[in-house]
Amino acid sequence: MRRQKKPCPVTEAGIRYVDYKDDRLLARFITDYGKILPSRLSGVDARHQRQLSKAIKRARFLALLPYVKGQTAT
Amino acid sequence: MAKLKIRRNPTRRYEAVYIIDSALEDTAIAEKLEKLQSLLELTAEAEIEHWGRRQLAYMIGRHETGYYIISRFDAAPTVLPEFERALKLDGGVVRYLVSLLEHELGAPKLSDEELALRRRASDDDDDDEE
Repeated sequence: MRRQKKPCPVTEAGIRYVDYKDDRLLARFITDYGKILPSRLSGVDARHQRQLSKAIKRARFLALLPYVKGQTAT
Repeated sequence: MAKLKIRRNPTRRYEAVYIIDSALEDTAIAEKLEKLQSLLELTAEAEIEHWGRRQLAYMIGRHETGYYIISRFDAAPTVLPEFERALKLDGGVVRYLVSLLEHELGAPKLSDEELALRRRASDDDDDDEE
């Protein structure tokens, strides 16, 4: 029993190379805590997942995305 | 034996993102940007995009907001170390990122056929073309 493969949402959006400055797109591929969403859950193809992973890390460095989300300040 | 590829054009295309202290005046920011860009010894005009003041996703030191500037330019790799050193030492630059710009990023307008083709291609697990 194989589950039907989801179409890749990044390909669907017509994106060839993921832009690390597009924080609104990247925010769709992180969890509520700010972790990178596994492609198994998001359905992103391997090529775009590699790009996403790099882009999210760059966006975090540039403070466009948080490293940790949902944390209360101490 | 593989032949060494000789690059005819010694410059490469880069993209730099600067996060500048948002407490600075706009004129001071423009001045700083000009000073930084002049270090690159550009032959062609750089493409500059101002995002302006933006909330940071987390605090960087005492900064909660930053002035974002994106610059795309063709430069020789040899000028970069000196350029990055200047950026690092500049107190007004909260953070910066210089990256190679080898492909157009984001979503270039694909025609519907191309999109359908891509979709088919993404069915094969891993397609590393080029």
